[in-house]
Amino acid sequence: SLEDLFATLNRHVDNNDLAKVVKVADQVLAIAPGDEDAIRCKVVALIRSEAIDKALNAIKAASSLPIDLSSYKAYCLYRQNKLEEALDLIRGLEKTPMVLHLESQIFYRLGKMDSCIDSYEKLQKLKIDSDDLKANIMASLVAGG
Amino acid sequence: SPIVLDIAYNSIEFPSLENRM
Ligand SMILES: [K+]
Repeated sequence: SLEDLFATLNRHVDNNDLAKVVKVADQVLAIAPGDEDAIRCKVVALIRSEAIDKALNAIKAASSLPIDLSSYKAYCLYRQNKLEEALDLIRGLEKTPMVLHLESQIFYRLGKMDSCIDSYEKLQKLKIDSDDLKANIMASLVAGG
Repeated sequence: SPIVLDIAYNSIEFPSLENRM
């Protein structure tokens, strides 16, 4: 049943067995085309497997569905160094921590250090903090002079 | 310039499947 497939999918997610996540997500989609959780699991597993082209294909395949995969797409575009395209996509998105991290990384690559620091400040206002974030802020300050 | 860590990657999470099982 669909419930059994999702239980299997969940186990693979917990084990970070990314190839099996994709496989079982596809099995769900064969029974329930357009299932949002299955599509999100597939796209995230492909991104986490560094299969950026395949992730973009899965996002494209779902483009007619009422599911917003823009933040994933923006990340994939960033990985392909299509920075302005990624930024255009981000402008319309809710500023979740993931989106703010991505935005700051894009600005950094574009050499727009003031905007980069702005994004980091928004993350700190959301009480998002980590050693990695501190390292990136330091890098931006150094690069920004 | 220094390499920025890809924190966005680490922030991409699987959806919760709790209510699907
Ligand atoms: K980077």
